Amino acid sequence: MTEVALIAPPVAPSVDRERLTAFGFALPSLIIILGVFALPLLLLLGVSVIGPDGLTLVNYQRLLGTPYYLGVIWNSLRFGLLTTAITFAISYPAAFALARARGALRSLLLATLFLPLAASVIVKAFAWTILLRSDGIVNETLLALGIIEDPIRMIFTETALVVGAVNIFLPFMILPIYANVAQLDARYAEAAATLGASPLVTFFRVIVPLTLPGIIAGVALVFSLSVSAYVVPTLLIGEKYPTLATTIAKAYLLAREPGFGAAAGAVLLVIAIAVVTLSSRLSREPK
Amino acid sequence: MSETALHLVVRGVSKRFGATTVLDRVDLTIGRGELVTLLGPSGCGKTTLLRLVAGLAQPDQGQIELAGRDITNTPPHRRNVGVVFQNYALFPHLTVAGNVAFGLKVRGAPKAEIDAAVERALSLVKLGHLGGRRISALSGGQQQRVALARAIAVEPDVLLFDEALSALDRKLREEMQVELRRLLQDVKATAIFVTHDQDEALTMSDRVAVMNKGRIEQLAEPRELYARPASLFALNFVGLSTRIPGTVVGGKDGKVEVDTRVGRLSAVGTFQSGSPVVVATRPEQLRLDAAGEANAVSGRVRSVVFQGSRTLIEVDAGAGESLLAELSGRDAAMPRVHDEIRLAWPIAETFAFAAEPHA
Repeated sequence: MTEVALIAPPVAPSVDRERLTAFGFALPSLIIILGVFALPLLLLLGVSVIGPDGLTLVNYQRLLGTPYYLGVIWNSLRFGLLTTAITFAISYPAAFALARARGALRSLLLATLFLPLAASVIVKAFAWTILLRSDGIVNETLLALGIIEDPIRMIFTETALVVGAVNIFLPFMILPIYANVAQLDARYAEAAATLGASPLVTFFRVIVPLTLPGIIAGVALVFSLSVSAYVVPTLLIGEKYPTLATTIAKAYLLAREPGFGAAAGAVLLVIAIAVVTLSSRLSREPK
Repeated sequence: MSETALHLVVRGVSKRFGATTVLDRVDLTIGRGELVTLLGPSGCGKTTLLRLVAGLAQPDQGQIELAGRDITNTPPHRRNVGVVFQNYALFPHLTVAGNVAFGLKVRGAPKAEIDAAVERALSLVKLGHLGGRRISALSGGQQQRVALARAIAVEPDVLLFDEALSALDRKLREEMQVELRRLLQDVKATAIFVTHDQDEALTMSDRVAVMNKGRIEQLAEPRELYARPASLFALNFVGLSTRIPGTVVGGKDGKVEVDTRVGRLSAVGTFQSGSPVVVATRPEQLRLDAAGEANAVSGRVRSVVFQGSRTLIEVDAGAGESLLAELSGRDAAMPRVHDEIRLAWPIAETFAFAAEPHA
């Protein structure tokens, strides 16, 4: 090293070189992000504020000033929050069970999580409509068993919507939490116990904080997926539960109001960005 | 150790994992303020015994008492023990001070008391200035100290160290051994160390329990353990030795005559004639200048290893047997490789052990 230093110029070029190399590696993805995401996004934002007579905020006024569209925003938020909360409640213990499972059982459980990801969301949502409709399997079974006398209305209710969404988005919550839990050293809990922490205290003071990165990743994924979901609400509840995503689709495909659709997209984007920012703020290590 | 000072009592404790018996009716008694090492190869049950004391595992039978309480069925969080884990298991989401404060916080101690205890514990391990640091920003040696401070802060009835120094490099480990012993004596802690490192055991402890196959083979002070090993296993595990197998041909007054492939040797021990035994002695007992009542064997020097204050000499005694002698630098004529020499050692320092089938 000394000899090299004697020959090399006094400035340290290696750092710049490393940066250059890193930039080189990042370049392809940068091009894709700029070209395929950033540029269309800018165009979208532009469309949302440009009217026939120049710049205008009329689209946003309509969206944020009409009770109907405030209801749409609320529907999206409510659907996203409900789905995320229920998915989390199911996934957190499931991730621990998965991490504790061994051998063939673990492989089997992981396969049941991964395989549905290969099927299209449309297939899965449609499968739920088959299960839940009035002459669906659930109703037919309950009728045959004599538990109910008339079919229960399940399809096209908020319950059906959330149940279906939870089912479809479950892997996106379980997998990041599982990855986190699987890496968790059992000795942290043991250390906490020997220091006088009861199992409950250990859970809240040690296990939850140490699995927070997985929780936040899962929550951010499932919330952004559900808040922007289009297929699931369309198939499982339809017209009577308009969300931002269905509103955007309608604006573009039926009403031919690209400006309004773009504005709705921008609002959805703001919600998603807010959640992601909040998540990364939370996951950042406390000082 | 007086009977009144009994602090930790392990009575007839057994533990099985499936078909494997990991601990086989182990008894161990430790006095208040005593530093005891469980020494043995991996799989001897030493870590399991430590985990049973900590409450991280349950014995299949037997009883454990700590500070006068029967804690056999007490969960770990109500035992008031302190454990320093092999990988330290420091909480990465807490600062140094947060880690040290953890035990007191979960006990619901008032904040002022916690702050004082944290400061005291951190200054004990000389990390008073690092309380605000993140764990990941510490070196291995510093993490070791934080783990110690965290365990000490709750003033446990017994401190348990599970291979706590093994992750440190050799020099740091040796420094920590001496420092840790002094620190534990200062705070009058009762402690159990688990290690496979004989130097650590000899340096750190008042008494050493040599463990083998789930049993304690010998529990003795380090000096006693070295000078009077109770079994061939204890002899092998602690310190160097010369070992020559043979057959007992006679004996009286606590001494036996043993026929070996390098001649007849005398040793301390009581065996029936015809018993297969191993005759052994420590390297520093061997002398070049033989005189008086002694065992003596001749051979050719195979190697001379200079180690500073001492020189280890390996001698080929023929018939596949070898002798290991430690000569101090003061010995005038240091033999050279291929020299023919005669080594002698006192009978009183010659042990005879029952030969183990596979030894």
